[in-house]
This record gives sequence, structure tokens and C-alpha cells, in this order.
Amino acid sequence: MRRRNPLPYLLILPSFLLAAAVIIWPVYDLVQIASNDVNRFGQLRGFNDFANFTALFADPNFLAAVGRTALWTVAVVAGAILVSVPVALILNSDFYGRDIARVIVMLPWAVSLTMTAIVWRWALNGESGMLNSGLRALGLIDTNIQWLASASTAFPMEIAIGILVTIPFTTTIFLGGLSSIPGDLYEAASLEGASGWQQFREITLPLLRPFLNIAIVLNTIYVFNSFPIIWVMTQGGPANSTDILVTHLYKLGFRIGQLGQASAVSLVMFALLLFFTIVYVRLAMREERAHQGA
Amino acid sequence: MKTIWQKIALAGVSLAALTAAASAGTVRVTVAEYSSKTGPYFAEAEKAFEAANPGIDIQFEVVPWDNLLQKLTTDIAGGSNADLSIIGTRWLVDFVQQGVAAPLDEYITPEFKGRFIDTFLTPSIMDGKTYGLPIAASARAMYYNKSLFEKAGVSEPPKTWAELTDTAKKISALGDGVYGFGLQGKEIETDVYFYYAMWSYGGEIVEADGTSGLDSQAAIDAAKLYKALIDEGATEPGVTSYNREDVQNLFKQGKIGMMMTAPFLSGQIKAEAPDLQYGVAPIPAGPNGDQGTYGVTDSIILFENSQNKAEAWKFLDFLFSTEWRVKFTVNEGFLPVQKEEAADPHFVNDADLKVFASLLPNARFAPVIAGWEEIAEKTSNALQSIYLGQGEVEATLKAAAAEANTVLGK
Repeated sequence: MRRRNPLPYLLILPSFLLAAAVIIWPVYDLVQIASNDVNRFGQLRGFNDFANFTALFADPNFLAAVGRTALWTVAVVAGAILVSVPVALILNSDFYGRDIARVIVMLPWAVSLTMTAIVWRWALNGESGMLNSGLRALGLIDTNIQWLASASTAFPMEIAIGILVTIPFTTTIFLGGLSSIPGDLYEAASLEGASGWQQFREITLPLLRPFLNIAIVLNTIYVFNSFPIIWVMTQGGPANSTDILVTHLYKLGFRIGQLGQASAVSLVMFALLLFFTIVYVRLAMREERAHQGA
Repeated sequence: MKTIWQKIALAGVSLAALTAAASAGTVRVTVAEYSSKTGPYFAEAEKAFEAANPGIDIQFEVVPWDNLLQKLTTDIAGGSNADLSIIGTRWLVDFVQQGVAAPLDEYITPEFKGRFIDTFLTPSIMDGKTYGLPIAASARAMYYNKSLFEKAGVSEPPKTWAELTDTAKKISALGDGVYGFGLQGKEIETDVYFYYAMWSYGGEIVEADGTSGLDSQAAIDAAKLYKALIDEGATEPGVTSYNREDVQNLFKQGKIGMMMTAPFLSGQIKAEAPDLQYGVAPIPAGPNGDQGTYGVTDSIILFENSQNKAEAWKFLDFLFSTEWRVKFTVNEGFLPVQKEEAADPHFVNDADLKVFASLLPNARFAPVIAGWEEIAEKTSNALQSIYLGQGEVEATLKAAAAEANTVLGK
């Protein structure tokens, strides 16, 4: 066996220490708050046998928020990827005004998430919102729809806006992927008589695979933790019916003052994300290795 | 000519002198941003105070109201809180129980205490000690749109909830996106909007035995009344998507006949909808003639861990002089909290404010209980279920009362 060279580890050490300071220390702090009886102002009052976690798992609102977070994350990430692939394909092809089209697709990215959410909150206002007046002008509806009054319309709209703001980033990843695919592959394929759909399935999709994986992992992390859209539009309401884990955490911590339970929620979130990332990355890597072996 | 190094050395020395002076008599103050006039007001007060008291440096942090409790929580947890801060008086009990707020009694002279109107100072007194000074006060009354009343053939603002229901239906019948009663169903104070009716029916938030009043007959009657208003189209549709500001906006646009809110709406109407014909009336009475309004004060508190308590008090004494109080209260559209302040022509000649002031004897303040915010949250959630028709009135309120009783320790 070859002796391992210590140099790479030494080179990694400074950034590892930095990561430890910004990640491990806060997590340690969270564990401490979550396992103690804590007062309203974060002052510890002694270990309490994980009562914070027990209280959490007995709370139907928390369990509902876990399910809703899964729905929210899967819907937004899947939706964003489904839309972004064709958008990236179009923006990658050569047409007049492509640069302008690229800028327009990227624009939502330049606006802060909170601002986007505020604009949509106004647009979805039942009496004076843009969306209702637009739909009325088109003759599609007779009476105003109260978009944010109940979860059955509010949550789908929040998912739609989540997808909209996730598209620019996802498209950027795919554009990078597409530009790395050599053009002569397509030339050869069309000489062999492959149709556009066949080219997409047999060339584009497999070669985009690593980029798809990156898009899924990074977007899942962002969307899972995304706070502004839901908070600005409904604050998780009415009656907690659009709460996801982060908004539930915020209410627990800063409205109700249960900092112990709030810290427990954030640990659960951390564990869920860590679990997802490790499992997904392992699966993706195994698949890649299998492809290389074939 | 001085060399560059001399200049840098000089700058260093003066900087050192500056920081030394700053740590000697610095008073840091966290204030809530009530409106765009709040920041400039405190900047002006800082300048005037520092000119009169050369040894003391005042530093303000202006925080949006929505983030205030969050900021204070993290500041206190990290031990980096200011010397003075504005807080909602309803939070005070938590601050006192945890030993965060310092009692002010050793500084308060009888003359100083005499400046205040008792109604507003009382909520800041706990166990016989004064922990805060009321810096902002407001109460609630009913705003009504005179033009819509005229169109609907109603001449007087309703005096009872039965009359209100009747009037609201008449106004909603005008159609064209006009609704009778503006009902708030979202975000902060959704619970308070419900208490107006509950108090009129003789209910209380916390009953004499210390349990929640949410399962009382009065609460059930009030919830049924609101639900009926919603079902009969007497309110704006989709009430659970309207917070207080949204309902106020509808009122300013002339789309709503009646709503309950605070004095500051008058100021907003003057600035944004000067042509709106509106009036202010007391909140309607219930079947037994009971009536109630919500009184709110915000207090400024001194932190127990402050290093400069004497200087901080000096600044408070300055801030609560009549001249600076009048300026603040007029700017923000609040109610005067001091006797001399109330005698100022600004307030004496304001017809709207007179109505608010006349309601004060019946005003109820948020009950002094730890965990009040949690009860408010649970109440709002229960009301939203009822408004949406997802929960049956009695069962939902009973469940909410049970949850509130757990918080109350009953």
C-alpha cells in the first residue's frame, strides 16, 4: 500500500477550521439550547430530559409542517427542473435576441425574494389585486378569487412562486451543462438519422445527468430552508395551514418564545437535510460509477 | 507641513479619545419604528439632549415593529442589549419575571409620576413597582364611511351589534365591490378584532378564576355573530386574507362601511384619502349594554444590566417633558399619555381623538400573564378556522380555551 501524502489534508485544514467555526459551533450551541429548559430570552435553566423534542413530536402542527415541507420541497424542485430544462434548451439554441431573452429569464434572480413575495402578495389581493382584475378583464372569472384566504389556493400559489424564483438558478446550471456537450455528437447523430427527441433522450439527458444532480441537491437545500415567500404571503396561516418547518420554527422561537423547541426543530431540519444529501449523493455517485463501468 | 504619518498618529489619538469618551456616558436606546417620522424625531431629540448634556452620548437603534421582539430576544440572549428599549407593555411581564427589566422607582419623583394619566401608567406597574414608562398609547373605536351610510339610507352609526349587522347588510346590498363591515382575519391582532364583540357580550379574555374566557357563552355568541356576518356577505369576502392594514386600505378606498381600528387611521386618511367622508364612533354595545375597547400602551424600559442607569434616566426625564411628548404623539397619531400633553391644543381640538379619549374608561388592556403571545396565537388560529368554516364554533373555541388554560397553568 502506498503511504498517504499528508499535504492535501494540510491544505484542507484552514478551510476545515473555518467551516468548523461557522457550522459546528452554532450546531453545538443549538444542541445545548434544544436539550435544556430555556427561558424566553435564551438563558439556559438546566437539562430537561429532551422534553423539547417530546413536546415537538406530540404537536400535530409540527407533524403537519413536516409533511407540508416535503410537499413544498418536492413540488418546487421538481417544478423548477421540469420548466428549466426546456428553457435552457431554448436559450442554448441560436436565435435572434437570445442575449435579451437570457437577461429576462435571469431577472427574477436579481430581485430579492422578499420583494418578489411582497409584489405577489399585492397581486393576489382579493379586491384590488392584479391577478383578479386580469382574469376578470379576460372574462375567465366573474367573482374575485380570494387567493390567500385559504390554504387550498394559497399553498399552490406559493409553490408556483417558489418555482418561478428557482428557475433562473436552475437554468444557469443547465446552460453550463449544455455548453459542455460537444456539438459534433449531435452532428453524428443526425447523420445517422436520429430524430430531435432521440437526440435529447440519448445524448442531452445522459450528459446533463451530473448537472441535474447538482440542481436537485442545491435546490432542495435552498427550497427546504426558504422562508420569505410563505412568511410574507400568509405567515403560515390561516390557522397554520400553510406552515412549513422554517415558518413553524420562527413562530415557536420569536412569537411564542419557546426557544428550546425552536432549536429542536432546527436540529430536526438539519438532520433531515443531512440525511437527504448523503443518501442522494451516494446514490448519484453509485449510478455514475455504474455508467462508467458499462 | 505635517507628514502623512503625523496625520495618522493624530487621527489615532483623537479616535482613542473619542472611544474613551463614548464608553463613559453612552446610552444605547432601541426604539420601534412606528412610521417614517419616528427616526427623524429621535435623531432630533438626540441632538437636543446631547447639546444640553455634553457628557452623555445617545445612540439610537430604530427597529421595525415586526422585528422588535426578535431583535430583543437575540440581543438579550447574547448579552448585547441596549440600555433602554421600547417594548410592547404586554411583553413586560416576561421581562420582569426573568429579571431583565429594572424597576424605576428609585428615580421616579412624585412630580414625575404626576405627569402621567393613571390609566396609561398602571399597565407598567407590577407588584407595586414601576418597570416601564408608557411612551405610546392608543385605543380602538369604530370608523364609518358617511357617504356609504347615506347611500344605504342609514343616518346614524350603529349603537348596538344588532344595528351594526343590519347596517352592514344594507351597505353590502349596494353591491359594486362595497361591503358593510371590515373584518380582520389575518396576522397580528386578529384575536383583538374578535374581543371587541366578545367584550360587548360581557366576556373576558381571562375570567376571575384565572381560566380562559374563550369557552364562555359571550365568546360563542360573538364568534357566531362574526360567522353570520361572513356568511351573509356583510363583510368583505375572504376575511382570512386581510390583515389590519389590508382592511384599513379597503376603508381608505371607500369600499367598506365600518371597521374598528386605532387613532392613527385618521392621520393616514388625511394624508392619503383627504376626500373620504368618515366619522368615528364608539364600538357598539352588546345585548346587555356592555361595551369595551382595547387599550394598548408601549413602554420604554431600563435594562437591569445597563452600566449607565443614571444617564439613561436623565434621558428619559428629557423625553417625557411636555414639549417632546407632544411632538412625538402628534407625529405618530397616538393618544396623549400625560396630563399637560393632553391639554395641548393639538389634542383638545381634534374631534376624532375626543371619541377615543371618551372610550378610555371602558378600555381593557392585554392581561398581564406570561405567555400572552402564545394565547393570542392560539386564539387567532381558532378564529381563522371558524371564519373559514372549517371548525364548528363551540367545539373550536372549547379546544382553544383548553389550550389557553394549559398556557395559563390551569
